[in-house]
Amino acid sequence: MSNMEDNKIMLDIQDVSMRFMMTNDKVTSIKEMMTQMVKGKIHFKEFWALRNVSFQVKKGEVVGIIGRNGAGKSTILKIISGIMKPTGGNVVRNGNIVPMLELGSGFDMDLTGKENIFLNGAILGYSKSFLMEKYEEILAFSELGEFIHMPIRNYSSGMLMRLAFSIATVVNPEILIVDEILAVGDENFQRKSRARMMELMSGGTTVLFVSHDLGQIRQMCNRVVWLDNGTTRMVGDTKDVCDAYKL
Amino acid sequence: MKQNKFDLKKVCTYMIALYVIAVLIFSFVAWDKISASRIANIYPILAIVGLAAVVGYCWRLQFCEKKGKESKGLYFINTIAKYWFLMEQLIQRDFKIKYKRSVLGVFWSFLNPLLMMLVQYVVFTNLFDLRGMGVIHYPIYLLAGIVTWNGFSDCTTQAMRAITGNASLITKVYVPKYIYPVTKVLSASINIILSMVPLLLVTFIYGLFNQLYFTPALLLLPIFLILLIMFIIGVSFLLSSLMVFFHDVEFLWGVILTMWMYATPIIYGIELLKQKQAWLATVMQFNPMYHYVEFIRSIIIYGTSPALMEYVICGAFSFGSLLIGIIVFKKTQDKFILYI
Repeated sequence: MSNMEDNKIMLDIQDVSMRFMMTNDKVTSIKEMMTQMVKGKIHFKEFWALRNVSFQVKKGEVVGIIGRNGAGKSTILKIISGIMKPTGGNVVRNGNIVPMLELGSGFDMDLTGKENIFLNGAILGYSKSFLMEKYEEILAFSELGEFIHMPIRNYSSGMLMRLAFSIATVVNPEILIVDEILAVGDENFQRKSRARMMELMSGGTTVLFVSHDLGQIRQMCNRVVWLDNGTTRMVGDTKDVCDAYKL
Repeated sequence: MKQNKFDLKKVCTYMIALYVIAVLIFSFVAWDKISASRIANIYPILAIVGLAAVVGYCWRLQFCEKKGKESKGLYFINTIAKYWFLMEQLIQRDFKIKYKRSVLGVFWSFLNPLLMMLVQYVVFTNLFDLRGMGVIHYPIYLLAGIVTWNGFSDCTTQAMRAITGNASLITKVYVPKYIYPVTKVLSASINIILSMVPLLLVTFIYGLFNQLYFTPALLLLPIFLILLIMFIIGVSFLLSSLMVFFHDVEFLWGVILTMWMYATPIIYGIELLKQKQAWLATVMQFNPMYHYVEFIRSIIIYGTSPALMEYVICGAFSFGSLLIGIIVFKKTQDKFILYI
């Protein structure tokens, strides 16, 4: 690979701001809205979840995002993956993004494990041929065996987690977004799943990684973005930022 | 991960073939209507100009693809290709879980309309005798109306919750949001198509005893279904986006549906209105469902193509509703995430 390509910018977050309008109590019925309007009672309170956040992610980098609760970590991930439109600023994406879903959020309880693999895979944007190819692998990793043909409402929570994790991690995306590292199941599976995550993150894909676990961040990330109250407090080397954050 | 793509040449061939088939069926079935109308002389020219337009557009698409130029049509085809698998999966899911736990399974899709027809037939032919209002073959008249209406009300009621019901996905992964209402309508409209089977079956058996036979006009059924489903998709776009902001829509729509049903000549005939209250018959012209219901009745009962004007009206309602739905949906979709 040439040097040029190595330094290709995969994600360019340019001056992104996000404003939420908060009503005192959310109005969700026409009648309520009418009465409130007549009374002149709709007050909006502005809340800036993000203000002028900018950073870049280069190809193959693992970038960690840290910050306290409510600092805007999840919001920035949602904006990057295109779920939310920012109020201001822009995000340039050079590659397909696969979010690591909160486990099982695309599951349908009445379908069998196998059907759920395909449904969930389709939601994550995998192609049919890719899923066909990886089906055996997913099945083997999840250790579900013949239970795969049962409706998942009969699964135990551990089985569900194993299935969800196996689907979520067969990905081969250009940009992977991970909100908190996933370690599920019994001790044996936890070890396996952690190893899988490491393998994924070190495999040359660009990763955006949110965690509260500074140990993990130090271990995995090349660079770290520290968000504080919706603004970037610090962007830089893992060690520098982590040390500053700890203080 | 490679992106799914359609072979553009194939898509173009299908488009042209579809146009030719539609025009051939239309010309064949509606020939008497066409030759009696004012456009009789220019009809062949119109058909050829239409063909030229379709071919020309296909040519332009291929040109754009080759040169790598942007074009709306190309973008549309690529998006469909990209999300084809997802749409397939979502439609399968909706359809599968509908009957998953029932013993008879998919068979209910046939049985349900059949039983509904039976009930309403018994009620409206025996208890309320509404015959003798200029309506011939009343049982079939009634059934055609009921099947169309039920299709409309089922589809819209289900599609209304397309956004709110998939909230857990919408807040977590990016997929164009219109996929959800469209797939909901398509999966629900499988039932409309399936319910055509019992309708035609009943018509056939009834016809044996009452001299009502199928004619080539039946070939127009796909055109009818496409127009109806387009109309439903438009309404569903509107409802599903409104639903995000006002959950009241769910209850309101139930009431509106009931009102709308009685405002549509399903159990009674338009002649009744003309005799009793002429102005109501005039207002009826603005009821889209009236035109769709009459369209299918014309095909099945009268055995002829509807008047040419009816095509224009139905088409206008279908495209109009689709357009309004798309505009509203597009304007509001960025705000969905803040409200669900």
